[in-house]
Amino acid sequence: MPSKPIISVTKLNKYFYSPDKSLKIDAVKNVTVDLYQGEVVVVIGPSGAGKSTFLRCLNGLEDFDSGSIIIDDIPLNHHHKNRLEIRKEVGMVFQSFNLFPHMTVRENISLSVRRVRKKSTAECEKITASLLDKVGITDKIDSYPGQLSGGQQQRVAIARALAMNPKVMLFDEATSALDPEMISEVLDVMKNLAKDGMSMVVVTHEMGFAREAGSRILFMDNGEIVEDREVGGFFEDPLEDRSKAFLSKVL
Amino acid sequence: MKKHNYLLDGVILLVLILAGILGFLRIKNGFSYSWNWGAIPQFFFKLDESGHIKPNLLMLGFFTTIKLSFWSSFAAIIIGTFMGILRTRKNLFSRLTGRTYIEIARNTPPLVLIFIFYFFIGNNITTALGIDQWARNLSGAGKGVLSFLFSRPERFSEFLSALFTLAVYEGAYVAEIIRGGLESIEKGQFEASDALGISSIDKYRFVILPQVFRKILPSLTSQAISTIKDSSIVSIISIQELTFQGMELMASTYLVFEIWITITAMYFVLTISLSTLASFIENRMVKY
Repeated sequence: MPSKPIISVTKLNKYFYSPDKSLKIDAVKNVTVDLYQGEVVVVIGPSGAGKSTFLRCLNGLEDFDSGSIIIDDIPLNHHHKNRLEIRKEVGMVFQSFNLFPHMTVRENISLSVRRVRKKSTAECEKITASLLDKVGITDKIDSYPGQLSGGQQQRVAIARALAMNPKVMLFDEATSALDPEMISEVLDVMKNLAKDGMSMVVVTHEMGFAREAGSRILFMDNGEIVEDREVGGFFEDPLEDRSKAFLSKVL
Repeated sequence: MKKHNYLLDGVILLVLILAGILGFLRIKNGFSYSWNWGAIPQFFFKLDESGHIKPNLLMLGFFTTIKLSFWSSFAAIIIGTFMGILRTRKNLFSRLTGRTYIEIARNTPPLVLIFIFYFFIGNNITTALGIDQWARNLSGAGKGVLSFLFSRPERFSEFLSALFTLAVYEGAYVAEIIRGGLESIEKGQFEASDALGISSIDKYRFVILPQVFRKILPSLTSQAISTIKDSSIVSIISIQELTFQGMELMASTYLVFEIWITITAMYFVLTISLSTLASFIENRMVKY
């Protein structure tokens, strides 16, 4: 394993307050973790465990209250410039796809390449075509998202995130909003990405994916990382009681 | 399917027509007013000394109303978009700025605003900036362009204060429309563009505002129609738009009904064309 982590999280804390401000809820509690190039880290745990919040902290979609996040040597803090730099290196795929409905697939994918990477139109076309090839929907390039199935939309969303050529990809329950028969087509794209050596942080309920494509498991409960293990060990022989209880329910 | 009852429609229509005829006869016989519609056309167009057709007062007023409404709607949309965005930002300063502008502009009678701007901008700012001077010293061609786009150079500073007043007043309503539109956009759209590292300006320009404008086009059209109608109040500072010309004509000819009916029709033509144009655009937009 290379010595320098690509994402380094130290003592990360984030609280929410209940609506009447009487109750402080730890969404992310004292999380310290280092992620290395090429790792596929799968974050699992019961709902409300803070998995998504943790993930959203990693690219600054959520502010955190204390601790530090360093991504590719750039500290994520209140400097707007750092935040933009980090977001260029970190791609994100959402549960609800969040494609831009008024743009065609081509425009969805090329927007960031054109406006952020400032590539020429010819280069944008090339990148868009190769990414659509990668996710397997070249024939839908001029369709609007509303004309695509959920699985196709999510694959376009993955292509859109990849267009920035990120160093890390974050997946926030990318298959949870899909009809069952479409889950595998999206998981296949994610597995291929993992095979190609992309560093990934994946929040998911798909234990099959975690086993097959994951290299490391972070098991979270109540905002804390309960167990941080390589995949085989975690599924064969979980150490903590909470992990055991969780696995007995989902497997 | 239920059979449509055409008999009832026919009866209602007949009753309405009869009521119309009755009303017309009542007015014609009941109140002694000698109609003189024949005098109206000359106020649209006139022949000058060399025999060329020239627009007369009503048409000149009509053009001024169009120019004034166009520019003030245009400015109102820019001000409104900016302030509407500020109003929805997280930052306290932005929210305060947006809110303060909207509440002040929206909660002031437009007539009062006009006087304030007229005496403040018309008399002080434009003079201080030398805009009057600049307009007067324009070359012949420059004056032509200025008259075509805005108003005659000697009336330019009044025109500016009228434009500014209407823009500020209508801008507050536009800002609220924009805010409504922005709040109707899913949070995920903002997050997706943020996650792509797109700058804030590009986010609004390419992702958010195109979706907002599509949603708010009907309300924006209503607001533009309001702007056309509200533009009549600037007659109070002698901008020679349609209502002002109407008052002038009325004072000199006493053709009260003919003139005001004509002017109503002219406003109507203008606003109905605008709403037709808007529904045309709405239908032409790509459905997604």
